[in-house]
Amino acid sequence: MSAFFTGIGVIVSLELRQRVRTVAWYVLIGVFVALVALVTLLLSIAFGGFGAENSGGAIFSAIIYFVLLLGTLVAPALSGNAINGDRDAGTLATTQVTLVTTWQLILGKFLAAWVTALAFLAAAVPFLIYAALDGGISATAIIVSVLVLAFELGVVAAIGVGLSGILSRPLFSVAVSYLVVAALSVGTLIAFLLGGLAVQSDVRSTTTYAISYSPAGEPERCGPPQTTTYPVPRFDYFWGVLVANPYVLLADAVPTAYSAEGYPTDLFGNIKLGVRQAQLAPELTMTYNECSSDFYGSDFEIPREIVERTTPGWFVGVVIHLVLAVGALVYAWSRTRTPAAQLARGSRVA
Amino acid sequence: MTTSDSAAAGIVVEGVSRAFGEVKAVRAASFTAAAGTVTGLIGPNGSGKTTLMLMLASLLKPDAGHIKIAGFDPTVDTAAVRSRLGWMPDVLGSWSALTVRSTLQYTGRLYRQDRQTAAQRASELIDLVGLEALADSPTRVLSRGQKQKLSLARALVHDPAVLLLDEPASGLDPAARVELRTLVRRVASEGKTVLISSHVLAELDEMADSAVYLANGVTASKESVARARTGVRAWRIKSTDGAGLVRALNGAGFASDTLTQERGEVMVPLASEAEASALLATLVTGGVPINTFAPAVGDLEQTFLGLNAGDNS
Repeated sequence: MSAFFTGIGVIVSLELRQRVRTVAWYVLIGVFVALVALVTLLLSIAFGGFGAENSGGAIFSAIIYFVLLLGTLVAPALSGNAINGDRDAGTLATTQVTLVTTWQLILGKFLAAWVTALAFLAAAVPFLIYAALDGGISATAIIVSVLVLAFELGVVAAIGVGLSGILSRPLFSVAVSYLVVAALSVGTLIAFLLGGLAVQSDVRSTTTYAISYSPAGEPERCGPPQTTTYPVPRFDYFWGVLVANPYVLLADAVPTAYSAEGYPTDLFGNIKLGVRQAQLAPELTMTYNECSSDFYGSDFEIPREIVERTTPGWFVGVVIHLVLAVGALVYAWSRTRTPAAQLARGSRVA
Repeated sequence: MTTSDSAAAGIVVEGVSRAFGEVKAVRAASFTAAAGTVTGLIGPNGSGKTTLMLMLASLLKPDAGHIKIAGFDPTVDTAAVRSRLGWMPDVLGSWSALTVRSTLQYTGRLYRQDRQTAAQRASELIDLVGLEALADSPTRVLSRGQKQKLSLARALVHDPAVLLLDEPASGLDPAARVELRTLVRRVASEGKTVLISSHVLAELDEMADSAVYLANGVTASKESVARARTGVRAWRIKSTDGAGLVRALNGAGFASDTLTQERGEVMVPLASEAEASALLATLVTGGVPINTFAPAVGDLEQTFLGLNAGDNS
């Protein structure tokens, strides 16, 4: 077993030296650090400076999202040609004739891609510490958000490496990796919005207005009820699509901190609230009766209660992402295995 | 099948075929390469040489037939084969960002050598192939010939018992070719099996003990090789007295229209080596000053051309 991990270690080290550790890479990290510094500074000013109430949580969650955004933008470029790029460069077959196994090769390449994406998280750590020291975010929230972020970067790295083993052209596999990331990040959102708007329900609104008032201004007599109908989008049918969205998944997984009034204090909590509200079916019959006693009765719910009575979906998202990542790697393994029985059209082993 | 111990330790190929979709790259390949010998793999472009090499190198699965490398089947005991097999591909690829030394070290590590062994072996191989001056340069600065040397060194990292060299001489300068020949002969003299594919038949003639001829994915039979070998071939004769030579040849029964003259040399078609010996004796005793008397093409080329001529007819 230790020989297995030694082999993976050799591949990881080889990948990092051959593929990643270049001047361009250090420049990219430098640009990233500068951007995160700028974002932190602007957010600090926006929230009223260091020590302002709840500003730490807001800054922390914004930085985590920023790392997720940049990490998922960079990871496909670094991992999306890990296998087919080597085949094009003529270095894949010479590696495959050694005693390294196909699984060691694929897992080594995946780990190298993951480590590379995690370097962005590592580069953002000073800013995360600054935000954490600012207060307003719990230790659990810090740990969970960092773990989920690391997991998501791993998923993107696995999909990139997997596609580079499945598709034969590097340019195509990098593009498809980006499309998968886009489908998860933006596609789920579009599907959610379009689905909700396409399926609409009619709301019957019955309104009864007063026609005479007492001298005290109380309604005395009401007219006949008037009924109108209008359509509302049914997002509650489609909220499930969003569980596969990495940004939503992250927000949904992090335990939310609330203000004294029951409002979320960070970006994670607000996104979670928005997504959870989408689970609630709209009320399809509305009654407004000035003569009725519950005229002023509003069914307003404070956000904390909404979050607490709706369904968390993040672990379903985690399972979906895990299936995608593992599936991509297994498929890549079956396509890269040697001695090869079948080759894709127009491709060569060496 | 009767295989000697030395063949069992080398390469045994029996009825191997491999198709890519509709294209049958290798149709029926059978040969043995014994341990301690150098075998040439010869065939025109597109004859299936590289496909056969890839199957021997444990990268491609044959559709049918059996392969044994040092006694192991690459499709079954893949790891056992790989630990005994060195492969130099026809495609020159190298990790461009790594130095020559670390390329060899990493290759050793991929063969499960420990760090120290890999470092030591890398230094030995750098000396062996003569890349000392470039040992710590990144491989992207290497010329084609230097990459060939690196590729050869990489194939030797784990001291394999069977060595497959796909076009090893292409891109090498004459001095490097001589070094390659010496190296290949030395590897064979250590009891290892070497299979070399090459287009440069004269080159192989000097290195190879035997040859396997591949045409349209089929290895030529022993009989057709023997037939092609014994066909009429041209001999090159050169004399300081050109006119006297032609006269003497005419006298020996070679009409002028069967002779070809180029650059002061005369090409004479002869059916066998015995006939050549007899002609040389006649010319020398006839007082013609002979300074060159040799076959115009090497054994392998003669056979190769003979087999191709047989195919076309």
